[in-house]
Amino acid sequence: MRKKRVTALMLTAVLALAAVGCGSENNNAAGEGGSNAAQSGPETADSDVEQSGEAEVTLRFLDVSPSETRQKYYEEIFVKFEEETGISVVYESVPWDDAANKITVLGASDQLPDVLTTHSGWLGQLTNSEWIIPLTDYLGESTEDYTVAVNKLFWQSEKDRFGDIYTIPDGMMVKGIFVRKDWCEELGIELDPAKGWTYDEYFEVVEKLTDVEKKHYGVSYRGARGAFDPLMTYLQNYTGGNTYDSEGNILIKSDECREAFQKWTGLYLNGYAPEDSINWGFTEMVDNFVGGLTGTLMNDSEVAPTCMENMEDGQWMVMPVPKSEKDGKLYNLINGSYSLSISSDSKNPDAAWQLIEFLTRTDNSSNYCRLSGLIPIKKDAAEDELYGEGGPYYTFTMQLNDPDLVVPATIGAFDYTDMHQGMMHEEIQKYLLGDIDADTALNTIADELESRMKDYIKEHPDTSVENALVMQ
Amino acid sequence: MRKKESDDKKTMGALARRRKNMPYYFLLPVLLPLVLLFGYPLIKSCIIAFQNYKLGNSNIYFNDFENFRKLFEDRDFPLILKNSLVYVTGSVAGQFLLGLGLALALRKKFPGRGLYQSIVFLPWAFSAFVVGLLFRWSFNGEYGVVNDLLLKLNIVEKGPAWLGTPGLSLLVVTIAMIWTGIPFFGIMILAALQSIPNDVFEAADIDGCGIFRKFFSITVPYIKPTIIITILLRTIWIFNSFDLIVIMTEGGPANYSQTLPSYIYTKAFSAYDFGLAGAFGLMLMIILGMYAVLFLKISRYEEAGDF
Amino acid sequence: MTRTASKRIETVVRVVVLTFYGLLVVLPVYWMVITSFKTNPEIVNTQHITYFPETVTLENYQSLFRMLSYSTYLKNSIIVTLVTAVVIVFLSILGGYGLARFKFRGKGGVLIFFMLTQMIPCILVIIPLYIVFSKMGLINTRMALFIYYVITNCPFCVVTMRSFFERIPYELEEAAYVDGCGRLETLWRVVLPVMFSGIVAVFVFAFIGAWNELIAGTIFLNTPDMWTIPVGLKSLIGKYSVQWGALMAGGVLALLPTAIMFMFVQRYVVEGMTAGAVKG
Repeated sequence: MRKKRVTALMLTAVLALAAVGCGSENNNAAGEGGSNAAQSGPETADSDVEQSGEAEVTLRFLDVSPSETRQKYYEEIFVKFEEETGISVVYESVPWDDAANKITVLGASDQLPDVLTTHSGWLGQLTNSEWIIPLTDYLGESTEDYTVAVNKLFWQSEKDRFGDIYTIPDGMMVKGIFVRKDWCEELGIELDPAKGWTYDEYFEVVEKLTDVEKKHYGVSYRGARGAFDPLMTYLQNYTGGNTYDSEGNILIKSDECREAFQKWTGLYLNGYAPEDSINWGFTEMVDNFVGGLTGTLMNDSEVAPTCMENMEDGQWMVMPVPKSEKDGKLYNLINGSYSLSISSDSKNPDAAWQLIEFLTRTDNSSNYCRLSGLIPIKKDAAEDELYGEGGPYYTFTMQLNDPDLVVPATIGAFDYTDMHQGMMHEEIQKYLLGDIDADTALNTIADELESRMKDYIKEHPDTSVENALVMQ
Repeated sequence: MRKKESDDKKTMGALARRRKNMPYYFLLPVLLPLVLLFGYPLIKSCIIAFQNYKLGNSNIYFNDFENFRKLFEDRDFPLILKNSLVYVTGSVAGQFLLGLGLALALRKKFPGRGLYQSIVFLPWAFSAFVVGLLFRWSFNGEYGVVNDLLLKLNIVEKGPAWLGTPGLSLLVVTIAMIWTGIPFFGIMILAALQSIPNDVFEAADIDGCGIFRKFFSITVPYIKPTIIITILLRTIWIFNSFDLIVIMTEGGPANYSQTLPSYIYTKAFSAYDFGLAGAFGLMLMIILGMYAVLFLKISRYEEAGDF
Repeated sequence: MTRTASKRIETVVRVVVLTFYGLLVVLPVYWMVITSFKTNPEIVNTQHITYFPETVTLENYQSLFRMLSYSTYLKNSIIVTLVTAVVIVFLSILGGYGLARFKFRGKGGVLIFFMLTQMIPCILVIIPLYIVFSKMGLINTRMALFIYYVITNCPFCVVTMRSFFERIPYELEEAAYVDGCGRLETLWRVVLPVMFSGIVAVFVFAFIGAWNELIAGTIFLNTPDMWTIPVGLKSLIGKYSVQWGALMAGGVLALLPTAIMFMFVQRYVVEGMTAGAVKG
């Protein structure tokens, strides 16, 4: 009998040990988590200990595109922020691939961090479910410190779609076409960023650069997730930059647009892109341009640091986005890259705003933009040599000043993430594989968009359909 | 042998009657957390399958069979179902045959068997993430090592775009799945093989039985229960696994390598439509349940429900 | 005469077969290992594939430790995995013994329930659990992963353990009862020692299951200091580039602990499974 009790005791002890072992690790870890945001700062460690007195504020910050550089940047700047304000910040991150999923889970369980970086495509969902709060009141007069592009393009578009300003851009992204300079020189193709080009000229260069024997392909074609985005911009060359008419009828079903659709997908079908590229997303497009498989890449200025790091100077250059064959306008998407927003779960929105203000202060934001390959958001930061003539970002800033620049309307304020992750590229892929014809592919997508847009207008009778934006 | 067991059972029966609550003490620590932590999600997903359950949606109500209607109206549903079947059958068959071969080859002792085993069983220890990346990298159409080898060996003139071609992309995922699963089958079958008493084979040798005869009339009956259980388990696991697919192809191109669980994963997250995901999940569980019952019936495995 | 001949053929066939399986494993592993020692330009060179690094470099490994807190991930992975495996072994001894040695009402139900747990798609488990965990304040803790790994790996381990117990003659225990030992003491002193290899087998099953898990890891953990190895490795796939070299190096390092463990324990795994092989 006694023996039995002993054994029982022993077993309980083992169980308890296991549980405690796990539990105590957790406690440690929570502490580590708190101080991790600023490993180097002794102040942080102190303040963690001193937590007895006044209500200590700790903010959670979510980075949706972590990298070595970004994590280091944020950890350092959070230390500085704490020195100035006494507010400590915990750096959280989720790999880009999983970011959208993670935010969904966090939002659904009311666990969103105070400040989160967002992607413009998620705003429909974030605002619909009221997971982030409007920032108009916080911004107040300070909007004047921001560049015209931020005011007239970025915020205007948010106001048009969601009726309010919800995010502060971390920097501006402008699209351009990255080109293999050395390949062009070899083939005697002359390109001048200042002169620009049209889409047909661009397609011609793509064709010339393709040399399958040498494993040179003309274009980093985007076939998988996000395939519709650049195509949509191209289609909008034929709709004056708009997506819908004032009643919500979609404009991309015209004959012109169908021809444009076929021309664009022809890049793949004619073999100017590797066959594999039907499965390419963002990463593969850049990776294969940098790796030397493809000769051109349409992408954001954000890619420039990657090129600088991995390619020789004489190997690449940036051309502006081609101008429309129809009206000569320069249709280019201008966006923030990972815009800052405050979640509705935040218990300290004021402190969160303080953090955003700090991050977007001219000195900090200039550093950040330089690091990330973005165009500055503040007026007084724009005079950096990086962005001037001869600098690596000149082509991008130049486009911002182009009188022909038009920023096309977005797909809409409704939530279309599911289409973006599925139907939009799947229909195009089916066409590329010969399962359906061009009409079916384009119409399926267009019809779905139109029906969603009309539903949205019905539900929000006071919204007006957004139009393409111009700076002038 | 058999007689002893039945004796055992008699004594056990007597004991069990005396201590009625004893088994529950042993099982409670296991069952309690499992029932709580699995039971809740299980019931929850059955419920949300009939609701308009979207994350972030505050107005949730029962919408009859709306989710199931959507499911059957999904134009890609037949394709995805077909993919799942091809993927699962291909993977299980490949793993089983190759695992059986491996186990047979390992049955007899040879110098260095220990070291050899720790090498050939290695794929089991790989994470799906690393395997997926390794295969995606190797099967790259333009500069993957597989196409390079095929070209150098003059097997093909131009390497195919493995992951970008319908059919081939599912094939590559299946190959990767087979690769990781051989060891599990190998270990299970090897263990079963080694539990065959040696004298049975010796007797067969004396009777002058050939290799094939020995295999089919001694080995197979002995290892059959192991094979049945392992196939059943692997089928369920493979049917339910989607990490390889998500990592290698994301179901592409155009859903040609999408399977049910990977579709559920994208549905749940891209549309936040957990109601629909729940309906798909319920569908998947029903398919698997039917499969399990049928499989055990057909294979005449007595201890149904056991694995 | 014919016998030796057929023996010889058998040997040849076996050598061929064994070589085939060896290559099947070694070639992909070789590719991973040499890629991890190549410089980045050599890896992404699309024109020319090298089968041995032109310049052998450690830069991938160095960058792995420098830019990722790889040692932190390693620590997290080891803690979570070890605790999970130990607890699972403990639970499956109890549960396995209970299922093997007793007849009781609802036993069939228990087994069917175990089977059911294997059929539910993991994403439908993770999301509800996330909501429960967040209410309990367990998000971003190792406890959350630990709980998830235990419940997902337990059913298989319990049932496996059960078949081990069934193979052990009941007489062994009876003798101890006659000596006046209680159930648990007998289990501890008499039964467990003879099934050491089976316990190792279950430990390995649980260890591998937890070590490689990625999806729950990305969902339950928020801060890099809590990440496990797979989650940390995933962050090497950036928005703009895949760092193949570092990824492959990370893959090698993630594999190393399990590979070393395999060297020592594979014998017990096979032995243990042999002892527990389903009766024919």
